[in-house]
Amino acid sequence: MATSSSAGRVLSLCKQFQNVVRISSAVNTQSCSPALTKLPPRQYREKSPLAALSWRSPSSSVAPCRALHTTISRRGLDEFFDLPENWGETTVKSGAPWTAKQLRTKSNEDLHKLWYVLLKEKNLLLTLEQEAKRQRVPMSSPERIRKVERSMIRLETVVNERESALRMLQTGQEKARPGAWRRDKFGHVYWYRFKEYAIPWYMNRRYKRKSFFTPKFVQPHIRLRLEKYLRQRARKTSLERRTQSKLKEKFPHANISAS
Amino acid sequence: IYPLYQLGNPQLRIFRPNWFLTLVRPGKEQPPDTVQFRIPMEMTKYDVKNYLEKIYDVPVGAIRTRIQFGSNKKRNHLHQKVKQPDYKVAYVQLAQGQTFTFPDIFPEKELKHEEGSMEEMQEKFMEDEKQRQRLDPRRGGVTEWFGL
Repeated sequence: MATSSSAGRVLSLCKQFQNVVRISSAVNTQSCSPALTKLPPRQYREKSPLAALSWRSPSSSVAPCRALHTTISRRGLDEFFDLPENWGETTVKSGAPWTAKQLRTKSNEDLHKLWYVLLKEKNLLLTLEQEAKRQRVPMSSPERIRKVERSMIRLETVVNERESALRMLQTGQEKARPGAWRRDKFGHVYWYRFKEYAIPWYMNRRYKRKSFFTPKFVQPHIRLRLEKYLRQRARKTSLERRTQSKLKEKFPHANISAS
Repeated sequence: IYPLYQLGNPQLRIFRPNWFLTLVRPGKEQPPDTVQFRIPMEMTKYDVKNYLEKIYDVPVGAIRTRIQFGSNKKRNHLHQKVKQPDYKVAYVQLAQGQTFTFPDIFPEKELKHEEGSMEEMQEKFMEDEKQRQRLDPRRGGVTEWFGL
């Protein structure tokens, strides 16, 4: 969760601003996140002392990079709404979603902060959508929600990749949650994921009622299901072969299609 | 999916929460310090309190939740029942005497087309047409039925 102490928050915000500057320089301009294009102007707007910045270097001795001392954005519930100049517009400009490739270049802290930026952006867009439905007015540029969703999904995948790589190196386990291959009553084999209980399984009445085996009388049904599946596959392949042969008959000089 | 809690376990911390709050305009009149949210069904009062305090830095006082049943009465063209999704509503009262009014997000805006565009020409054409239809303003609103 975000740091709760104000001093820590100021520090993280300073770093956040530095990181924002670094992010926007690292990423090319067409593909910055929708929130990123708005984040710098928001901070500029409310901090009037930004014009007369107090440039304090962290260390009194040689400091090649000067720390930026900014106030935290304390807009509270206003963060659920857009900038007032965008209220009532039919289209609002926004950039492309983050790709997994770009996200893999970022550090873990950057990704953590970006997650919250995207979260707040999504809340903003959802409030806008609901209010538009309420006022019976079309929402301005609804594709922003999908963009933010996709960015968040990709971020999640990148973080999970890193976590699983670390887990493999440290413990040798591929999955975080333990599980096993089990059969259900209908003969399907599936990955059963374990759940944490306070008591062992032999004392758990509800768990004992579940059966992880197939009874013998289900075997004919399994055989019929298998036959049906094989028949469908054979039909598909023969259909493909037939269409290809017909096409070859009609167009003998045409080259074979990729499909 | 969350680890089991037993006495003495450390406090559960969730990194990258996947919950989204929607601020809604209250249907019924609410006191000035109350904010109405639509929250996912899995969230509790304490979750919402922590969410708003940590992520949005909003001081939260009392908070009440209820679950709104989405209707299952309407039917589609196949006479099948269509279910509107259920959702949880949270009424959050802000601490430290803060007030909140839901702003007007869709104010009336003058639509100005850019110069030389198709829309501008169409607008001008429509204006000219309407001008031709109108009667002589010197007649003072009197219809064509009167007169010579």
